[in-house]
Amino acid sequence: MTTSNVVFLLIVTAGAGFFALNVQRLVRYLRIGLAENRTNEPGVRVKNVLSIGIAQSKIFRDHIAGPMHAAIFWGFIVLTAGTVEILIQGVFSDFSYDAILPEPVYRFYAFSQDGFALLVLGAIGFALYRRLVLHPRRLEGDKLEHTDALIILSLIGGLMLTLLLTNAYAYLAGSTLVGPEKFASRLTAQMLGRSVTSPGYWAGVFWWGHVVILLIFLNYLPYSKHLHVITSLINVFFSNTSGPGQKGVMRPMDLEADVEQFGASDVDHLTWKNLLDGYSCTECGRCTAACPANITGKPLSPRKIVINTRQRLMEKAPLATGDRMEFIHPRLVHGEGGATGAETASQVLGERLLDNYITEEELWACTSCRACVQECPVSIDQLDIINQMRRYLVLSESRFPEEIQPAFESLERNGSPWAFSPADRGRWAEGMDIPTMAEAMERGQRPDILFWVGCMGSFDDRAKKITVAFARILKACGINFAILGQEEHCHGDPARRMGNEYLYQMLAKDTIGTLDRYDVKTIVTSCPHCFHQIGNEFPDFGGNYEVIHHSTFIERLLEQNLVPLQGEDGKRLTVAYHDSCYLGRYNDIYDAPRATLKRALPVVDIVEPKRSRDRGLCCGAGGGRMWMEERQGKRINVERTEELLATGADTIAVACPFCMTMISDGVKAAESDVPVLDIAEVVAGQLVS
Amino acid sequence: MPNILVFAETRGSALRKVAFEAISAARALVDANGGGQVHALCAVPSGGAALAGQLGQHGADVVVTVEHPGFANFAREAVAATLAARAQGGGYRAVLLGFSAQGRDLAPRVAAKLDAPIATDVTEIRIAVDAVVVKHPVYANKVIATLQLDGPLVVLSTRPGSFAAVEAPRTATVESAAPASDPSGEKVVVKEMQEGGKGKIDLGEAPVIVAGGRGLKAPENFKLVEDLAAAFGNAAVGATRAVTDEGWRPHSDQIGQTGRQVSPQLYVAVGISGAIQHLAGMRSSKTIVAINKDKEAPIFKVADYGIVGDVMEVVPALTQAVREAKAHS
Amino acid sequence: MKIAVCLKRTPDSESRFRIAANGAAIDETGLKFDIDDFASYAVEVALQINEKQGPGETVAFAVGPDSVQETLRKAMSMGVDRAIQLKTDATTYDGLAIAKALAAELKAGGFDLILFGKHAFDTSGGVAGTATAELLGVACVTAASKLEIANGKGTARRELEGVAEIDEFSLPAVVTIDEGIARPRYPSLKGIMAAKKKPLETKPAQLGQPRVTVKKMELPPDRPPGRIIGDGVAAVPELVRLLRTEAKVL
Repeated sequence: MTTSNVVFLLIVTAGAGFFALNVQRLVRYLRIGLAENRTNEPGVRVKNVLSIGIAQSKIFRDHIAGPMHAAIFWGFIVLTAGTVEILIQGVFSDFSYDAILPEPVYRFYAFSQDGFALLVLGAIGFALYRRLVLHPRRLEGDKLEHTDALIILSLIGGLMLTLLLTNAYAYLAGSTLVGPEKFASRLTAQMLGRSVTSPGYWAGVFWWGHVVILLIFLNYLPYSKHLHVITSLINVFFSNTSGPGQKGVMRPMDLEADVEQFGASDVDHLTWKNLLDGYSCTECGRCTAACPANITGKPLSPRKIVINTRQRLMEKAPLATGDRMEFIHPRLVHGEGGATGAETASQVLGERLLDNYITEEELWACTSCRACVQECPVSIDQLDIINQMRRYLVLSESRFPEEIQPAFESLERNGSPWAFSPADRGRWAEGMDIPTMAEAMERGQRPDILFWVGCMGSFDDRAKKITVAFARILKACGINFAILGQEEHCHGDPARRMGNEYLYQMLAKDTIGTLDRYDVKTIVTSCPHCFHQIGNEFPDFGGNYEVIHHSTFIERLLEQNLVPLQGEDGKRLTVAYHDSCYLGRYNDIYDAPRATLKRALPVVDIVEPKRSRDRGLCCGAGGGRMWMEERQGKRINVERTEELLATGADTIAVACPFCMTMISDGVKAAESDVPVLDIAEVVAGQLVS
Repeated sequence: MPNILVFAETRGSALRKVAFEAISAARALVDANGGGQVHALCAVPSGGAALAGQLGQHGADVVVTVEHPGFANFAREAVAATLAARAQGGGYRAVLLGFSAQGRDLAPRVAAKLDAPIATDVTEIRIAVDAVVVKHPVYANKVIATLQLDGPLVVLSTRPGSFAAVEAPRTATVESAAPASDPSGEKVVVKEMQEGGKGKIDLGEAPVIVAGGRGLKAPENFKLVEDLAAAFGNAAVGATRAVTDEGWRPHSDQIGQTGRQVSPQLYVAVGISGAIQHLAGMRSSKTIVAINKDKEAPIFKVADYGIVGDVMEVVPALTQAVREAKAHS
Repeated sequence: MKIAVCLKRTPDSESRFRIAANGAAIDETGLKFDIDDFASYAVEVALQINEKQGPGETVAFAVGPDSVQETLRKAMSMGVDRAIQLKTDATTYDGLAIAKALAAELKAGGFDLILFGKHAFDTSGGVAGTATAELLGVACVTAASKLEIANGKGTARRELEGVAEIDEFSLPAVVTIDEGIARPRYPSLKGIMAAKKKPLETKPAQLGQPRVTVKKMELPPDRPPGRIIGDGVAAVPELVRLLRTEAKVL
């Protein structure tokens, strides 16, 4: 063993050791969060890692940054093999894969190394160009963030350059290992010219340079947002945002638990996974760029929520864990609008994530549309943090926009977020000969299907027309169905989305009691919020039913030719369909409503707005925003309606009564007369009279 | 039939409408039950005798005037004590008051002093041999209760507007009496009276609300709504969420689920379609008028009276008509 | 300050009522009960006064059957310190009897301020508060839309017919609270949990023989269905006529 080998071993051990210390510290920080099991269904988790992580499926949603990032990421994976080779060479100077691999395999390996090194260099160049010249809006971080990004890009670039230069000089020094497959290395050598003196020496220098940059890179990561290099795959594995489980399902709370507070006001009330999200965020800003609140000028930025969580963790965790390694505390982890300047321990402990970093206004601006979650390339769940914090505001401090109190009170007293008498719930059905469950049972009948009407469908005059249209379709198809009538009341979803888990559980459990009393098996509903809540969130409370949204149900009926439609094709319509968040991003139903329109109107043209399907922009009503004032910025429904009108469509179709209200208002605000119709109304309009 | 004692309510030294209504109610009761006398008691700073004519015109047989400078303001304890003292004097089957702001305050005091059963806000009164039976709307007028009051002397307050003030002329005997307690030694002292009409009437208190929606098209057209409100005199101006969101009106004017919940005697909806958010805040109004160009608008489902038409034409015409109607009343 | 708040438990105001089989009560099946709206304003006012005045005690009282315990718990979840139920078999329409029961209990309580709702949604009488004050011989302001307490004195605002009256009074006093004075706070889950552990005492109410009894309950005639009276300006005279003669609002 030469001196060089010994020195190498020492440096590597020191570098790796310091890195290990930091990893241990970061893991310990995570432990101040609440425990949560995230190891169920490992199959799904591995699949997510392969598709979202390795195959970069979400990264590619951005057609410009996507390929760039994928090139760097895949390059990193491929070049890791080369890194291992280099590390082994540090100990056994003469080592090469050449010695252990069959010739063709080695040649392919050698080619891949050079190929990807070049690819990564190209991507780095483009990335620098974007950052320094193009300045995309979503990358507008603070100065520290910018410096951080430049440091990382330089380090990666440095790694690639030293790799190529090492090989090039080795080639010039006559190494037989740099064959024609290492085309980039040879090209570099050519550019250097044959006249370099002592190429062997320079090969050594760049080899050392490569090793040193590698170790710097490794140890810089824990201080940088680029920690995601290490944590993102782990985060994707533990994330639930793309399954396992249904998307967007809120976690049940144990309300009987003897806890000092309900919900989260600081990092130690979030789960370890929420905190790991903080480690995984690269601040790419895709979430914020897709956020309807942010787009329209509200104070909410999902990226900020995650960054603030990390900032606060880095501030509080060292104290909470008794971490004495002051010298390695990450000063470089910068923030977004939340640096509180807390210096002493008592200052730090006197502050919290809520108020000091994240304001109430930000939390209430969220429409729970899941666009941020959908966009995140590393499966961060921004919405979960928001939901936990809303729960704290309502359950522990009773702090919320005052206008939602009537909604809470009415849910409690009238079983509907609007103060309408429960006795009027079934009024829309008068004269339609639709039995209630109670009436059907009394007659000894067993309806196959329960039509869950929902509060909007029962009380809102416009939505009642959707209800009637859907009921007419059901009757025309001879479906044996019933409604609950007076016995239906809100399942509590609005309360849950607004943080009032207590009220939600009361209503949900009561609803499950009613449904089970009638032994309900199958439910159809024209409201995506009811659909999501009863179908996806009730199972946590023992309510298991097959719930079908009316778009899917009508499409099936049409497919089976069960709907008596008028013969002629009707008027040629150009329809822009607006995706409901709770139908789309929560339940992946994008095709059924469109297919329903096409089947019912054979001559329809369906046009897509700028943002559609899983990129669709929220109407602005979700997350309880229906019951809140929109005091800042542009109105979300106006923004969305403008997009829909810009398609030039002569009709706008929706599949949600809340979207109906918001988009109809948007159309009025735009002083347009384009009709807004629910898909059920479109189909009902084609029924044989 | 024993006599009935009526509180002849005044403000300053003028009789109020509820006083005549209560006297007429009392007159009808004694007449229907074999005759008896109606005694009216008024507590005024001065000039009580001058009121006897009007009270006699409506059926008062005896007018008891209680004068004291302290009655210039509402001396609730002294008035209650004086009424109770007179009633205690004997010979009365009932003490009647109007269910006005004063009557609401006084009736329970009198009842407590006399230890007499009490019913307030009654719309019908029958006197049987050993009991008084009244009708009293409960649950915000959604249910009518018939109550029986057992006792030789009862205290009742009559709902304004439920008993017509009818004339039953006679010459009332005027008696004067001293206050039963010193009106200047009240535990509650009126510090100030602020006349209404100067400031804006609060939405929660206004008997009439005129509200405008997006159908008004532009903020400057809210003038039409303001003019109509001014014509009513006692009206406040409200708006829908769409309008306050647009910034045409301040948020404090918003009526609806996320704004104020109101139930005035009269609600005039101008250019309002009637979204669920808005209806949740005004549906319980006693009378609803809607003016909208779209006859399918949901507001017509809750409106008692609707006019289909252009608000720009209908509202000025209505303003003019209301002004004329007010001028003649 | 030591403040008492007297509550009632009433059905939600949006309820649709049916008459019970005996014809002298409402059918309570399906009705949702909660703290009466006016009483909830009174609770809020009491809590705000004590928050402003510094350490004090707020005690809730209710006369009624055991179901009122739920309402008293609600008041405690809002922040009231303890509660006393004066137990009766049913709701009575004899406001004076309620006042007697309350006065007997409040007399020795040493309260600086006793708050009531202006009236309750169910009996709509507005008797108990004022009568209680009379029985206790303390000052009483009814239907206060503003209330301030400072230096052992109270100032209240009352909205009368077109006039506002500003009253000053000495303590102890009874004040009945009008709507709109303050938005009652929404109890947090923390408050609800804490309320379960707060003391709730039950004593028999000294109601005496009720002298006001319900003979009959009936529903008023249905509101006539709304109608469109015409198109455009031509319909205005008819509207004015209807407002004057039918609706009697002009």
